[in-house]
Amino acid sequence: MLIYIIRRVLIFIPMLLAISFLVYGALELTPGDAVSALINPEVSGRLTEAQFNELREAYGLNKSFLARYGIWLANVFQGNFGHSLAGGVPISTIFLDRLPATLELSVVALLFSTIMGCILGTFSALKRGSIADSSLTVVGMLGVSIPEFFFGLVALLIFALNLGWLPVGGRLLPGYESIWDRVPHIIMPAMVLSLMMTAGVMRYARSSMLDALSKEFIKTARSKGLPEWRINLMHGFRVALTPVVVLIGFRLPLLIGGSVIIEQVFQWPGIGNAFIAAVRGSDYPLVMMIALFSVFSVLLASLVIDVLTALIDPRVRLN
Amino acid sequence: MFDKILGVALAAALLSAGPNLATAQAINSEPLSDPRVRQAIAYAIDMDTIVETLFEGKAIAADSMLPNGPFKPDGLNPYAYNPDKARELLAAANWDSSRELDMVYYYGDQLTADLMATLQAYLGDVGVKMTYRKLEGDVGAQLTTRPTNPVDGTSNIAWDLGYGAAAATALQEYYNPYKTGGTSHTPSDPALDGMIDAINATADPDKQRPAYFELQKYWNTKLDTLPLYYQQLFIYESKKLNRNGGSYGNEQYNYDADIVNWTMEPDANGKQIMRTNTAPPQFFELPWANLGIWITSKVVFDKMLSADGSLSVNGGQLAESYSVGADGMSASFTLQDGLTWHDGSALTVGDVAWSIKTALRVPQIHAVVENTFTSIEGGQAYRDGDADDISGISTDGNTITLTMSKLDPNMLLTFTQFAILPEAHLGDEDPLQLQQSSFWQKPIGSGPFRIEEVQMNDFVRYVPFENYHGGVAKIDEIIATPSLDGDGNLLKNAGAGQMDYGFTKNVADVAALEAMDHMRVIAADIPYTRMIWFNKFPRK
Repeated sequence: MLIYIIRRVLIFIPMLLAISFLVYGALELTPGDAVSALINPEVSGRLTEAQFNELREAYGLNKSFLARYGIWLANVFQGNFGHSLAGGVPISTIFLDRLPATLELSVVALLFSTIMGCILGTFSALKRGSIADSSLTVVGMLGVSIPEFFFGLVALLIFALNLGWLPVGGRLLPGYESIWDRVPHIIMPAMVLSLMMTAGVMRYARSSMLDALSKEFIKTARSKGLPEWRINLMHGFRVALTPVVVLIGFRLPLLIGGSVIIEQVFQWPGIGNAFIAAVRGSDYPLVMMIALFSVFSVLLASLVIDVLTALIDPRVRLN
Repeated sequence: MFDKILGVALAAALLSAGPNLATAQAINSEPLSDPRVRQAIAYAIDMDTIVETLFEGKAIAADSMLPNGPFKPDGLNPYAYNPDKARELLAAANWDSSRELDMVYYYGDQLTADLMATLQAYLGDVGVKMTYRKLEGDVGAQLTTRPTNPVDGTSNIAWDLGYGAAAATALQEYYNPYKTGGTSHTPSDPALDGMIDAINATADPDKQRPAYFELQKYWNTKLDTLPLYYQQLFIYESKKLNRNGGSYGNEQYNYDADIVNWTMEPDANGKQIMRTNTAPPQFFELPWANLGIWITSKVVFDKMLSADGSLSVNGGQLAESYSVGADGMSASFTLQDGLTWHDGSALTVGDVAWSIKTALRVPQIHAVVENTFTSIEGGQAYRDGDADDISGISTDGNTITLTMSKLDPNMLLTFTQFAILPEAHLGDEDPLQLQQSSFWQKPIGSGPFRIEEVQMNDFVRYVPFENYHGGVAKIDEIIATPSLDGDGNLLKNAGAGQMDYGFTKNVADVAALEAMDHMRVIAADIPYTRMIWFNKFPRK
């Protein structure tokens, strides 16, 4: 397994290089650059061509696309992720400031959706054809069909504006720093972010559980006289869990990217907001690092899933 | 003899009607250079109806670039909606009805998109086809790249009509860009140049007024740019806030609202906390281009002078006293004794001189500020990189003296808006990349509030500056969140009682804020004119 992991990690390098080149190229194709984004249109009319050139030189934007990409890549290999062109803040500082907020939101959402999705999906499978099963199926369909921002706005209207139970946004109240002070702030964004995934996990867990329950080994277990809860949980659920783990594993990195809208709706100070601002401002060092981080997360997740799948299901062999 | 008298009379008649007759034709191959076409477009648009419907009555139809007030003459043609007149003028100008005008804009709000669709319909009704598009990318270059030859050259921009705005701190700002070579869209007009020189020739309002009158009458006929409407500003406050007599004014800039004496209803812990918006999402902005939009610009950075709500100078702020030479060609400012920065270090005239010099080397600087500083003796050469110092700045003890190379009617206004920054913290930075300094993660100023805590993109907490020269502020804390004009978070925060003060120009927000019982909204007329630019240069 160790050799398999090392081989997979080595494959990451050319993949990351190729993707970084594609993202850099895509940025190059967008109209304008960091200087044009920094200077507002009213002011730019008073700047001369020479002043613009001086600025582009100061930001290192006057070189060719390949030269700039080469310099950026060389810096990254040396551990220098650069500075945000807009505010001059080191990229590493932005990550350290913003990533914990996004991870906090994503992990809470993932935990909630995993637990709720598995419980509801298993329950739905065990009660197949009942009113509860049909109701959960409808709820699941609604969950995956309705966009998150809509749920977010409805939740804000009910729980923050009408009932006043939860804060309207932000990660923390000024002057409060303990983890318990954070709890009221994370409830709504995490629940809303997890809704679509809960529905997805629930539907996946249901079909996976139904599939497992129809297998021969379940009949064998029953014929041995094992109690029903043991058959369902130890034999059925464990097998049903394998595809669900794959789904959950792939969802974590997607949650990091997918929280962009939720971060906007709930004023959550995470990396998603920084990414939007960076793309709008052609702040290529920041865009590149966030994009690479997202890609790396997906690649890493796929590796972790492979390993976990092998651990959960003895029939799977890594090679 | 009779013939001579008749000739003189005819010449006099022609000259007196000069602008109307002389300009009633295209000046080059571009049909938009014909004032009749521009007038037709003005007549084709029913601005009164647009104001009442689209803007819900929260704007004022414009008949001049200048806002209503003492500097506007009577009798300007308002170009009231008259589609028949528009068609007549287009016919007289031989308008090619197959021509499709390309209108550009750069605002991302829905109201602008709706306005574009409305204008398209109005113009279509009189036979002018128009399509519109939002500019993306290098908007500045697409809007403002000037022709190489501003007299009879060809256009360097790719649009016919542009929808934009001018938010002026000084009235001259509406017209100064139109001097020969100053815009991307208006060819040289020596008569206009002379009139613009006249409004800049004196700081005396009584002498400026007739010059403004003459210029606006000329403009009203020629319509180099079509003023559409005056945008209003709306100040919103929660009813927990009490200004205690502090005035209201143009919140987009800096004025003396006596914030030191504002009070808030205490919260459950007995603290007076005022919540507002305009906190930074990534970094605090250098306050020399957008002079007063951010709360930080208003409360953290003091200026040399203070202004009233209409931005007229009403006294010193950092300056204890100031004087301007009789000819307006020099000015002296003496700082108050014992001024300090928020970190306790002394604020000196050295900081003032450094701020002026540095402002001339940064890429983003407000037009009025730039004009003042380049008017200082040696200022333009310093700006251009041809000199290492500005000869017109001298300091003596607590006094800084400026010697001007040309008169700037808005010199004092500049010093009511221009934030003085600490040289000790920024002196080693490259002015070109001053905005990228780590200073802007938690800046230090000299204003009535200092920054206590920054959770970037979450909130900023300001507390009273204990050594403020104007007394310690009564409010215990200001908490600002990063929400701006047109941002849905504003209404959400206000609805939850998390917004005690702010301002907006977004009419949709205003209607929602007015519907909240715990909020009040105060409308303020500000110099902010929305307009249509006409590209009058021939296309390549």
